[in-house]
Amino acid sequence: MSSDFLEKLSECVEFGKINLASPYPPQMKGLPGADEITREALQAGVTPTEILNDALIVAMNKVGQKFSENKIFVPQMLLSAKAMSASMVHLKPYFASGAVQRRGIFIIGTVFGDLHDIGKNLFAMMVEGAGWEVIDLGIDVKTEKFVEAVERYPNAVVGISALLTTTMVNMKPVIEAVKSAVPGTKIIVGGAPLSAEFAVSIGADGYGKNPQEGIMLLDKISD
Amino acid sequence: MNKFTQQVLQSPKLQALPIMTHPGIEAIGSTVYEAVTNGHIHYQAIRYIADNFDTLACTSIMDLTVEAEAFGAKINLPENEVPSVSGRLVSDAESVAALEIPTLAKGRIPQYLLANRLAAENIKDKPVFSGCIGPFSLSGRLYDMSEIMAAIYIYPETILQLLSKCTGFLVSYCKALKATGTQGVVIAEPAAGLLSGDDCMMFSTNFVKQIVDAVQDDSFTVILHNCGNTGYCTEAMVASGARALHFGNAIDMEKVIEQCPGDVIIMGNLNPVAIFQQGTEEAVRKATRKLLEKTAGHKNFVISSGCDLPPHVPEANIRAFLETVEHYDFLCVSRVC
Repeated sequence: MSSDFLEKLSECVEFGKINLASPYPPQMKGLPGADEITREALQAGVTPTEILNDALIVAMNKVGQKFSENKIFVPQMLLSAKAMSASMVHLKPYFASGAVQRRGIFIIGTVFGDLHDIGKNLFAMMVEGAGWEVIDLGIDVKTEKFVEAVERYPNAVVGISALLTTTMVNMKPVIEAVKSAVPGTKIIVGGAPLSAEFAVSIGADGYGKNPQEGIMLLDKISD
Repeated sequence: MNKFTQQVLQSPKLQALPIMTHPGIEAIGSTVYEAVTNGHIHYQAIRYIADNFDTLACTSIMDLTVEAEAFGAKINLPENEVPSVSGRLVSDAESVAALEIPTLAKGRIPQYLLANRLAAENIKDKPVFSGCIGPFSLSGRLYDMSEIMAAIYIYPETILQLLSKCTGFLVSYCKALKATGTQGVVIAEPAAGLLSGDDCMMFSTNFVKQIVDAVQDDSFTVILHNCGNTGYCTEAMVASGARALHFGNAIDMEKVIEQCPGDVIIMGNLNPVAIFQQGTEEAVRKATRKLLEKTAGHKNFVISSGCDLPPHVPEANIRAFLETVEHYDFLCVSRVC
């Protein structure tokens, strides 16, 4: 019974079926989506931990893998992430009560001066789908806001995003301020104009070329 | 075959066309803000590039906010950074239906038309290319880029309506750019590169083609730029009918050349950041030689940057790029390759 729910939910997330109303994917039109199935699963006694570990994380891993192999593209990945978020809404009370443990806290934001968010949003959703609690600080995030967030969550890993060559240089002062406020904080960076060499040069602990690489990096540096 | 295509295919020498205006803006001592808001300064920046670099053509500023601003989007205009769109203008079927197609008097459009007219009137020794955003990239700026990616599947009719409105405006804008006397337009459609080939065809190419059909002729060439394409949208780009296609650094140019017809001009794709902006002169020379070796023998190839050169590219790197092209060409001619 439990495995039926988990299998259906995993399928909804993998193929981006958000809820009953969503017409996507066409082969699942008119069927319940991640929203309804999660609610039913919880009512039927499936535990939130099973939902997180055996459906959402499994599905998002497959999504990340397919994306890195160019079998799906950004729209499909975003729809999967939206389906996962629709399920996650029902799990939030269990996270808050401590009934379900996350893998860690991940603070993310687009660096100050930069208003772009598609890469940041995509990665944040993938990280959440990998079992992390995500604190999304938004776009154009000032250094002080990053510092405040790590002071509040001192064990968190920080992710900084930039799309512009003119703003990627702003990452360095953020990294310096965060590491000075909470020494030992791990920081990863990403964004179209960046490279692994640049990440090293500004003192970041890692660089993710794509979301899947970023998740693997996150798992590695947080172990 | 139009004039520009003929010029490239029949040229006895290798051609280089880095997409750039920021080096010109910096060289004339202006800020990005001044150049994107004042047509005279914009023109002076183009003029500097035309006068100081031996390139196939010159281009106007690749500013992907000017059209969104005309529609009413809020624009962030920093002093020395590329402008960006802030927030979203439309969010559902109702707001898309109510969206009005702006006139060409809105926002900074008149200043851009002025810059293009001045460039066309005063730069006579090489073609001048205007620039505009592509329909899908413009729609993404109005609807929110993350949201439009999901909406093409959930609310396709709404997005198609938005694309139609954006295309209607872009057709008018490109006709006005053509009327300034420039020799073509670079249509920048990077967001379409995030789509699958089929989606790129449906949500980008079908609309880009309407612009191409409206303005491209013997003396006016459309260069379709898609630096987001990693290899899955090339067929869709060819289907647009644009006489020239411009690719970003994420793609393998050898494969692109194989996929594209020989009478379509192919341009690309040295990394504008890692090579031009952050690389040494030697790194620029090495990357340029490598790309020329990979693409040797293809008369329809024009070496270029993979995207618009960002601010703060050392002029020495641009010169290293152009000298390497010239030197390679000389060696090639000497060896009759």
